[in-house]
Amino acid sequence: MQVFIAQILNGLSIGSVYVLLVTGFNLLLLVAMIIHFSYPQVVVFSMYIIWLVLKMTNNNLLLGILAGVSSAVLFNFISAPLFQKIMKNREEVDINATMVLSMAIGWIITDVLSHAFNNGLPIQFPEEITGSRPLFRIGLISILPGQVWALSIGIIVVSGFFILLYKTKAGRAFRAIAEDPAGARLVGIPLVKTGFQSYALSGVLGGLTAVLLAMLFHSASPGLGEQVSHKVLAVSIVAGLGNLTGGLVVGLALGILEALVQGYISGNWSNAIAFVVMLIVIMVKPKGLFGMKV
Amino acid sequence: MELNRTLVDEKKTPMLRVEELSVSYGQIHALEKVSIEVYPHEIVVLIGANGAGKTTLLSSILGVKAPTSGNVFFEGKKIDRVPVDRNVREGICLVPEGRGVFASMSVLDNLLLGAHHNLVNKDKNLARVYEWFPILKKRKDQVAKTLSGGERQMLAIARALMSAPKLIMVDEPSIGLAPIIVNDIFDILVMLNKEGYTVLLSEQNAFKALKCAHRGYVLETGTIALSGTSSLLLNDPGVKAAYLGA
Repeated sequence: MQVFIAQILNGLSIGSVYVLLVTGFNLLLLVAMIIHFSYPQVVVFSMYIIWLVLKMTNNNLLLGILAGVSSAVLFNFISAPLFQKIMKNREEVDINATMVLSMAIGWIITDVLSHAFNNGLPIQFPEEITGSRPLFRIGLISILPGQVWALSIGIIVVSGFFILLYKTKAGRAFRAIAEDPAGARLVGIPLVKTGFQSYALSGVLGGLTAVLLAMLFHSASPGLGEQVSHKVLAVSIVAGLGNLTGGLVVGLALGILEALVQGYISGNWSNAIAFVVMLIVIMVKPKGLFGMKV
Repeated sequence: MELNRTLVDEKKTPMLRVEELSVSYGQIHALEKVSIEVYPHEIVVLIGANGAGKTTLLSSILGVKAPTSGNVFFEGKKIDRVPVDRNVREGICLVPEGRGVFASMSVLDNLLLGAHHNLVNKDKNLARVYEWFPILKKRKDQVAKTLSGGERQMLAIARALMSAPKLIMVDEPSIGLAPIIVNDIFDILVMLNKEGYTVLLSEQNAFKALKCAHRGYVLETGTIALSGTSSLLLNDPGVKAAYLGA
């Protein structure tokens, strides 16, 4: 029972990272109309920026977090014109071309991280951000402060996102474009401007996810982005491409599934088992558990 | 016809002037040197068969499709090649063919989308729209896909009104609606016109449209074949044969 509770908590905290990543990915898909499956690479890039700033400022947490969030926003803004350019040249949205661009961005980041930071060795985050001593330990359960932080930040950010989506002017425009881009344009929603708002918002989500990842994983390597991006793409497809609520449920479910496998079977098998389960789901429901939104 | 005479007196400057507008989709010429004018407080109808270019003309005026040649002026300002959202802000709006209602969003959200550029006045405009369309107030928290065809058309018109437009363009409002509902929709357009809105309407249902419009243009394969006051068009033998089933 103690293992179970511990692993559920672990699963929820890593699941909240998946939820944030899938939400950012889906937002870009729905509003900016791009398939940016290298989005997790951008997030890992922000993790490196956080690490660098922590090192330079003698572990000033606030500055590290600010740098992480702003680097992700900045990175999204730099890549946005590239995406817009290939779509405008085709007159209509061509989502396939955006995948090649996303792939290129992903590989450039991976290569830069392997050569320009820490000689390509994995980076270690300081105890200031991860927390060193467990908050408490009962039998087998030990909870690190980083986990508690990650889970609470995850809950706050995800609920904030959904409030924004359903209660604000920008969120209303996001939903309208997601449902019918041509119709949204006819009622006077500016597509490019709203698209840029979605880049900014997914940047904020990505930067905060980088902070969460640093708290949970304590380290990062250049290949981390690629590993995570496979899972994020799989989660979004299993949930139903572009389905935000679906991504929320499936992201948390994947986190819990992985944690339970690690707790009861073996950590070495968690990826394979997770993907086998997702394979079965997608064979039974090819359009995803919750249905596609695009 | 007294109404028409007062309108002629008011005809100083047109609100909308389309000058020799040509639009093509690749090799296909959808519009060929089309010129129309709409004066303030008029209801003008575009009549034509499927594929005559009515929808293309309305969406080109809004700025969806850039013309290959020709000009569009709204209140004296050149507006072709101006982005759609700017034109909406300036007071042109389109109620699209097939309503274009956002089915998964609530009625209220749909209305607020219309007010995207005009949220400051949203309470005033909502109150007015609810007064004209009480059914929408009753259904404001319902998802739009639960509405009937007629209610959706009302929602689409109400959403357009939320942007505080000067010119309302309505594309084929009668399509797919029962005749009794079509009458309601035309009554609404006449009522809006009396409230001061200028209406540009496209319709295949020529008889009913001409009955409520002041003037009309007949579009045939991308060109204006005929134009004139509604009574003139209603009595034209060619129009009678082609569009009125007489």
